[in-house]
Amino acid sequence: MSPLKRTGIAEPLLMPGPDSPWSRVRQSMAWHGHVVVHASWRDWLPAAIADPQLRPLLGARDWQRLNNLADPEARDRFAASRLLVKYTAGAALQTPPETVELASKAGGRPYLRGCDQIEVSLSHTRDLLVVGLNRRGRVGVDTELADRRIQYSAVQRHLCTPAERRWLGALDEAEQQRRLVRTWTLKEAYTKALGQGMRMGFTQFGFDAEAATLLTPQGEPASHGEWAFATFELDGGYLVGVACHDAGLRDEGDTAVSTMLDEGFLGEVVDLVGRVPH
Amino acid sequence: MTETAVRVADPDVRRRAERLEFRFGDPCDPANPLGFRALLAADGSSELLSAAEELLDEEGFGAELVPVALGGRLRDADQLMRMLRPVFRRDVALAFGYGITSLFAAAPVFAAGSPRQRESVAKLLVAGGRAAIVHRSLAHGTAMLRGELTAMEYSGGFVLDGRKDVVINAERAGAVVAYVRTDPAPGPASHSVFLLDPAQLPDDGVRLLKRQPTTGMRGCRFAGYEFDECEVPGDALVGELGAGVRLALRTFQLNRTLITGAVIASVDTVLRAAVRAALAGETLGRRQRGVLAGVFADLLAGDAMATAVLRALSLLPGAAHLAAAELKYLVPDLLRDDLEELATVLGAGGYSRDTDQGMLTKLLRDLPAAGLGHAGTASCQAVVIPQLPALARHFWGREAEPPGVLFGAAESVPHLDIGSLEVAGGGDFLAASLTAVAARLAGSVPEGPYGEALRTMAAAFHADLLALREACLLIEPGDRAVLASPATAALADRHSVLSAAGAALARWEHHRRGAGFLADPAWLVLALHRYGRRLGLTLPPLPPDCVDRVAEELLARFRAGRSFDLHDAPLAEAGTP
Repeated sequence: MSPLKRTGIAEPLLMPGPDSPWSRVRQSMAWHGHVVVHASWRDWLPAAIADPQLRPLLGARDWQRLNNLADPEARDRFAASRLLVKYTAGAALQTPPETVELASKAGGRPYLRGCDQIEVSLSHTRDLLVVGLNRRGRVGVDTELADRRIQYSAVQRHLCTPAERRWLGALDEAEQQRRLVRTWTLKEAYTKALGQGMRMGFTQFGFDAEAATLLTPQGEPASHGEWAFATFELDGGYLVGVACHDAGLRDEGDTAVSTMLDEGFLGEVVDLVGRVPH
Repeated sequence: MTETAVRVADPDVRRRAERLEFRFGDPCDPANPLGFRALLAADGSSELLSAAEELLDEEGFGAELVPVALGGRLRDADQLMRMLRPVFRRDVALAFGYGITSLFAAAPVFAAGSPRQRESVAKLLVAGGRAAIVHRSLAHGTAMLRGELTAMEYSGGFVLDGRKDVVINAERAGAVVAYVRTDPAPGPASHSVFLLDPAQLPDDGVRLLKRQPTTGMRGCRFAGYEFDECEVPGDALVGELGAGVRLALRTFQLNRTLITGAVIASVDTVLRAAVRAALAGETLGRRQRGVLAGVFADLLAGDAMATAVLRALSLLPGAAHLAAAELKYLVPDLLRDDLEELATVLGAGGYSRDTDQGMLTKLLRDLPAAGLGHAGTASCQAVVIPQLPALARHFWGREAEPPGVLFGAAESVPHLDIGSLEVAGGGDFLAASLTAVAARLAGSVPEGPYGEALRTMAAAFHADLLALREACLLIEPGDRAVLASPATAALADRHSVLSAAGAALARWEHHRRGAGFLADPAWLVLALHRYGRRLGLTLPPLPPDCVDRVAEELLARFRAGRSFDLHDAPLAEAGTP
């Protein structure tokens, strides 16, 4: 794996199964405020299929969704992706994976129901699963095949701002392809972080040639440092784009569920509930 | 000046709010010294707009924060909300920095202070002064909540130590209300509230710390205090020793409800800008209509919940705590998602009006600083989660519904008595409303596609409440390990959505025979559909003209310059009143 440019984003961690070193997830959350993990869904398959706990681990709703999937490969990938999210979020929240519920909001954005100390994003392409978590703000991850061919002349008006067309247009074809896929991956990651998926027009915002800075369509800086971006090349020819937001609240870095409910408030309410006559 | 303003103030809050709105003037007018352009410029230089503070001084806004019984104009929280919205729709930071935080500081004094303490704080606020609040350190706190003070009893008084770095208005506070640790042991009796007069404190006992720049609410002045063996008299204590946590729980429900209800007006501003953008770019296609109508439905349903809780603070002071925590937990989260949806409309079609974009990005910065982030939700979860097992055992499905006046804006509620607010118990009036309305809809012949949709959706929400009850019956009350689990937090998340659905259904039912848009089920069906998606419920498709009906009302209000909330109030954009 090679980071294409040094940024504020931590390198993705390989987590090939339930027995992965999950302390690294906690460490990354503590140090960087976020974590990106990746795995091949095939590596998680033995766990997904063999685990007699799969049903409680998935929860009623995802179990039902799994059983509604007709295609066996789609079922396996779905089960593996849910397990990866639950183990990763469980590590960050310091709680057993089966207690974590992945849900989606009205607009489709995934979230950990009841645990808004962490934002979540997921993506997959071919065999690769990617999960991003962030405790400082929104997060979006996207993955594409690095050698994906996109015909620049056909898509430039839909995918690129005028400023991007200026620098892309000046490159030779190979380099143009490479940078176009990178920019596209990042655009997907950013719109997922905003919870909008494909609903946000890709010409409404742009990136610089280094794929690190958010720009207006005219090429002016569009963020005051609250966003960080990076793209990574993983083994197997995958490209991963990450967009990370920092709401600037300078929290204490504690995302554990066990400490979430303030001892004073909780104690007082538990006490009173015990005493109130019903 | 202020004395006169208080005396001549209109006794009708609707007219008083309208007067404030129109004195601020059209916010979009670039020449308006109190408009968006001026407010953004002030934010850019990290100050509050002084002309806006002067206007609020002239209007005697401080008196709005003081109960009528203490010489102010605060009758009930629903009325105060009407006065807050003209400020919040222009600048959240102005509302916080000018004054609403003074009420949050004063609330424990109004609730439990001695007559002398109450009078002194009331007098300060009515005269346009400010009270600052020094919070205790809270679980999962942000910088604003980090650090705390300690006190020891000493020859009839107390000695204060410790520092708090981030206190809004620390530099200009005429009174400081501090939550101070008076018992080193953890637990509910650990803290006490003190009312301090900065001018009376010994010079060497307290030091004002330098201003802290913040990412959000940049115009507010956050500074800190450091106490060093600072002696304070025994009568600085507010209420009983050790009552601080309970006083916080009692009074925070007021803050939670007011902030959440007022922020609806801040999102109104962005929705208005998005409508303007869509109309200007001739991009009001199907997708844009869907986004704009959806956000409008969220605002109306969110306001239905906020208004029910605001009125419950007067009507059901023993029970409002639960719904207040649910409101603050859920609605800001929905509104933040709404803002991001609106961003896609605002940025489309090459449209760029710098003040509109500026107000959106400013609001996205300001909301987390206004306590609408995880630290805020965690303290709400601490109120809701421990009550779930008891609610499942004794209330859901069995409780009588609340009085209808809770959902009727025209009828007035009793005066707010902050001292009568309770911390736990009292049932779940929004769940009771959901159960009662669902039962009535189930028993009625559905009227057309909307009647059928409402009946199906209300039944689905009610079924989810019953499923929630089954899950909560399995939780042993007081089992802290189970309470502090994501699985239980997920149940609380679902309960908050069901509460919101109950409030919206009851509000519509109360108005269904009346005139105006609130009687139209279209907004309700659209809002419930969005709530249902969040719960993962399988719901019937929307009636075909649902989005269009809501969008038409939105456009009509936009053109007439009227607010996108339950009040449908005239705004300064409409021109001269």
